[in-house]
Amino acid sequence: MVGMSSDRLAGYEKDFLLSLYERMVLIREFEERVKFLFLEGAMPGTIHQCQGQEATAVGVCAALNADDWITSPFRGHGHALAKGLTVQELLDELFGARAGCCKGKGGSMHVGNLDKGMVPGIAIVAGAIPLAAGMALAFKMQKRAQVVACFFGDGAVAEGAFHEAINMAALWKLPAIFVCENNLYGASTHISKVMKNTRVSDRATAYGCRGETVDGNDVLAVYEATRHAAADCRGANGPVLLELLTYRRTGHSRRDPCGYQPKDEQESWFSRDPLDRFAAALRQSGAVASTELDQVKARTEAQINESVEKAKRAPPPPVADLLTDIFS
Amino acid sequence: MKMPDLAATDSAIKLIRWLVVPGQAVKRGQPVLVIETDKATMEVESIATGLLKEVRALPEDFVGVGQVIAVLELADSASGPIPSPATTPSALTREPPPSQSGGLFARNRAAAAQRALARQPVVLSPIQRTVGKRMQSSKQTIPHFYLQTSASAEPMIVRRQAAAPKPLAWDAFFVRAVSKALKKFERMCCRFEGDELVVSESDTVGVAADIPDGLYVIAIAAASSKTPEQISDEIRAAVQRLEAGDLEARAARPPDITITNLGASKVESFAAIINPPEAAILAIGKIAPAAVVQEGQVVVQNRVSLTLSVDHRIVNGRYAADFLSAIVSEVEAF
Repeated sequence: MVGMSSDRLAGYEKDFLLSLYERMVLIREFEERVKFLFLEGAMPGTIHQCQGQEATAVGVCAALNADDWITSPFRGHGHALAKGLTVQELLDELFGARAGCCKGKGGSMHVGNLDKGMVPGIAIVAGAIPLAAGMALAFKMQKRAQVVACFFGDGAVAEGAFHEAINMAALWKLPAIFVCENNLYGASTHISKVMKNTRVSDRATAYGCRGETVDGNDVLAVYEATRHAAADCRGANGPVLLELLTYRRTGHSRRDPCGYQPKDEQESWFSRDPLDRFAAALRQSGAVASTELDQVKARTEAQINESVEKAKRAPPPPVADLLTDIFS
Repeated sequence: MKMPDLAATDSAIKLIRWLVVPGQAVKRGQPVLVIETDKATMEVESIATGLLKEVRALPEDFVGVGQVIAVLELADSASGPIPSPATTPSALTREPPPSQSGGLFARNRAAAAQRALARQPVVLSPIQRTVGKRMQSSKQTIPHFYLQTSASAEPMIVRRQAAAPKPLAWDAFFVRAVSKALKKFERMCCRFEGDELVVSESDTVGVAADIPDGLYVIAIAAASSKTPEQISDEIRAAVQRLEAGDLEARAARPPDITITNLGASKVESFAAIINPPEAAILAIGKIAPAAVVQEGQVVVQNRVSLTLSVDHRIVNGRYAADFLSAIVSEVEAF
């Protein structure tokens, strides 16, 4: 395993470190459970999962204030859990139940909760980037100290919306953090097949804002980079283009067997798994006992088990709601 | 255990093979069967830890989403200890193991016989459906022209005998010859990307492999720098992996050009359909003795027919003819 030095943990509160770990475990366990619910046929539709990318969601959201916002694409379960949505409201949504975070009408690709600062997922590739720029413009015009972190994948970088939104955001110095989770693949296409310069953060220079590439499998590195970016944004020095290098441990969707990831590439990334690395660093530092980490896992599993049982029995939206929440 | 909703389109899901046999212990998350849709071949994981009691669908069966495909006895409800997984699962292949013949397998065979009697239409496999669509599109949209010639096979025969006792795959010679000729004819590596013609830099030659499951292309990279022995080993290993159902081997890797060889049959010569987006395909016939005139004398010589199908949008006749001549020179230079 490519470890993280335990020295890096110095200066952080133990509770904070454990909360980061617990949130990442929660995302991993949630995604694994959802995978089996799908395989069992208990859950309808397809799903886009984020096993292996937990540190990006958790590191970014931990660095934001409660009243800051995030936007997310179709791979949003991790972002939602990191922003504070509950396992129950997510599972209810995935099961199409009325109690879901989008009243059971959004499903896996559109999870979000406006009360918790997460715009329901926008499944169109790059679709949320102009939206985030618009939100940041509102914050600026209303003289609020809020920022928006906009998650998207490397595939979105090839969309015109990416260019247009970051250009305007830079021009107007908007408080937006554009978070590119670069997992090397746009669906099944390797990044090297669609861009000559594969360092996404380099593009910031062209727009006249700051760009930074960060180890996206190192939750503390992501946290620090996001804090820095948020401070820039609040100081009217935004936007910031953050590129987080990470890797998906699963197919693009449940129907994708992921045969295009070469074995050696997989092995090299799996040895830098964000959870394994952070757990090892926590153990090494001596600040956290192994039993505490085990307790986190057990607690998380119990929480998910309970929520799954409830979600399976949760009623769907009533027919009377058929024409509400509809826009056209 | 039910068939998960793994088809991205409305494609039927075909069961390719089981990776475990009834009586074997399985773990939650362990791949237990391989399925095929029109988009991909993939492994399906067990949804629980326990004992595989029985399978309710067989290789070649088309299975609907939600249909029960296996019965598992869960680990926590099993009465006895769970046997450890067999080291080499004697995978349930097309033929059922004898111990199973009295049960489901016999019923399934009877059903198959009944289907035959009822003259039901033959269901195309997803891979054959895809091959068919691609070939139809190629033949209908690419203006093919065909160049036919022959080459002396004598140097190859001598070289092959020298490699005895391990006979080389004939295709190894043709792959190397085509790869070397391609070096001098860059335009034969061109392909359309939209309206633009771009040069492929993959430096690979494909070999059409017609295995019982379907038609695949084995891609041999940098063949001009390899010996026929190396290429031969590579082809044979690839065929084995294809036949074993290796998913990675079955994934498409578009080469610059494909060769197709029916020489093992009694085919003297034939013209093949271009495998898009390639510019040409070389069809190789059977090696057979022929009477040829050399320096005014009729002599008997082993010869092989070579037919090049070419995309006229990419190259014209003269260029393709020079390319085919270069292949002949390489074939005769072993």
